[in-house]
Amino acid sequence: MNIYHNATAQWLAYGVFFVLLAVVPMFVDDSFLLNQFATYGVFGLLALSISLCWGFGGILNLGQGIPFGLGAYGMAMTMQMQSQDASNPIPPFMLNNSLDHLPWFWEPFRHTALGIILALVVPTLFCAIFGGLMFRARVSGPFFAIMTLAMLSAWYTLILDVQPYTNGANGITPPGALKFGDYAIDPYSPVAYWSVLALLAVATVGGRLMTRSRFGLVVQAVRGDAERVRFLGYNVAGYETTIYTIAGFIAAVAGCCWVALTQYVSPAQLDTTFSLSMVIWAGIGGRLSLIGAIIGAFLIQGAQSYLGDTFLNTWLLVLGGFFILVVRFLPKGLAGLLETILGRFPLPQRGNSNGNSAQRLYPQPGE
Amino acid sequence: MAAGSFFGSFDPSAFINALILGISIASIWLIAALGLTIIYGTAGVINMAHGEFIMLGAYSSYMLQNYFGLPFLLCVPAAFVIVAAVGLVLERGLIRYLYKRPLDTLLATFGVSLVLMQGVRLIFGSDPKYLAVPSIFTSNFQLGFVNISAFRVIVLAITIAAVVALWALFYRTRFGVQVRAVMQDKEMAASFGINSDRVYMLTFALGAGLAGLAGSLFGVLNIVLPTMGMGYVVQAFLVVVVGGGTLIGSVVAGGATGELQSIFAYFTNDTFARFVLYVLIVVFLRVRPQGLFAPSATRR
Repeated sequence: MNIYHNATAQWLAYGVFFVLLAVVPMFVDDSFLLNQFATYGVFGLLALSISLCWGFGGILNLGQGIPFGLGAYGMAMTMQMQSQDASNPIPPFMLNNSLDHLPWFWEPFRHTALGIILALVVPTLFCAIFGGLMFRARVSGPFFAIMTLAMLSAWYTLILDVQPYTNGANGITPPGALKFGDYAIDPYSPVAYWSVLALLAVATVGGRLMTRSRFGLVVQAVRGDAERVRFLGYNVAGYETTIYTIAGFIAAVAGCCWVALTQYVSPAQLDTTFSLSMVIWAGIGGRLSLIGAIIGAFLIQGAQSYLGDTFLNTWLLVLGGFFILVVRFLPKGLAGLLETILGRFPLPQRGNSNGNSAQRLYPQPGE
Repeated sequence: MAAGSFFGSFDPSAFINALILGISIASIWLIAALGLTIIYGTAGVINMAHGEFIMLGAYSSYMLQNYFGLPFLLCVPAAFVIVAAVGLVLERGLIRYLYKRPLDTLLATFGVSLVLMQGVRLIFGSDPKYLAVPSIFTSNFQLGFVNISAFRVIVLAITIAAVVALWALFYRTRFGVQVRAVMQDKEMAASFGINSDRVYMLTFALGAGLAGLAGSLFGVLNIVLPTMGMGYVVQAFLVVVVGGGTLIGSVVAGGATGELQSIFAYFTNDTFARFVLYVLIVVFLRVRPQGLFAPSATRR
């Protein structure tokens, strides 16, 4: 027992973390910088989703760019249609690709609410179907990781290929900010920052409550030994599909936020490198700690933005080398390092063995 | 999508051409996957750096050709040796600590692939390089209405030779018996006096070398770029996954996926064909998750 495993201390750390992030706009005047911090929040959401899926579910997911990218395209289509009106009914890039009418699957995106719902439902549904197919066939571990990678590259090539509908490699650049009725969310305002942060906080707290619930414990048991859980009568495929789909939903939300903040989406969001870097964030930060994964995303993206200029040519070299070292020596990431350090200062035992037994169910490393 | 032309313009001679092109595509998929099959099949290591090994093979051929003036046909075996040496170093320095954690081998080798990609970019720059081949290889064969480039025939021939050589190595030599023993049961093999550590080391180097061989061929088919490996690694993994991780499995899976890709591409286009093929593979794995020829299903 040490303070790292103390539930109260953990909640306190979460509280402090989010309060600190919430006051950032008070000290940052540069709206460009604030927008950049808000995009880090999106990366935090992605790292969180990877941590839930891979850290807690044991499902290594190299294709998290699929729900992210699909959500982002859905949102970009919604925002693009907001700037079209009766006199100018179809997006300019379609005209350039000699399309004279709006494709049928763009029609629903005329309605903002319906468009956003679709941007969230389609990726989630995809994850549920794909995950269901794979997990029912008991494809797991490395094979599942490879299949997610294959699906990712399939979607990437598809979106790149259907240029008239998606504008190919150029991507979609909605001209205006996201509007709800008459209210436009300025992506450079503190409101946008706080919205993303609120989503991140809700997702983190929800994720944390989930990992400590009965469902979360079964999911972690599946990670430990799927066969044993199956023999105990649990529907392993169902649990795996559910956690994978939840992670996909969070990534879809992140995709929507991304486009709302940057007003841009391109197939680069479905690039293999981007999906793999999400895994790197969670891996370096600590996949068994939700907050660790988020901090991992902040650290690496921050370092890439600010050290990237200094180490322009060697950045990938440094990142790759650092990642190798973490995998080799710190399988639980920086959070695991913190755990080890705090473990040197044990808390006095309160002879209450009941309180501790709940902690012993808590995830252990080593697979 | 372009599916509108389905059967609309069916042309038998073009279709047969597509089938023959399919054999060529299959040989490319297969030779890219051979090294991966051996590494995965023997040690269960998911080597994400496989694509970068292919890239290294192409660059070592380029280097030997441009700085040492080696003829192309000698570059191919030289690339095998160089990349096998890189694989050996990687196995000794990193992979051997991770055999018990298959998911972590995937992650660590991904880190390796980043390092290799960026390292090559630093040394050679990110502009494309080209491998020169003797002019006889660049010509086209014309057999009746079938038209195929000579180099693709060379790739096919080398692929067949590599498969036969591997088969002979695994089923006709003492080393092969040892490898198969370690594959089936590492502890049991060790108790019979087989040095499983050494077997893993050598098979990893062999697999890496095969990737280098593939790379020196792909360098001719395509341009040589630091990022060229990324495209091959997914394909190669799919062949291994569909095949089930055995040599015969990869041969059949490589043939089937290559042909299907070519047939779909005939009816639609290359990109859409790939999308359909990947979806088909997902459905196939739903029916047969262990792949075509899983190690447990056949007695070898």
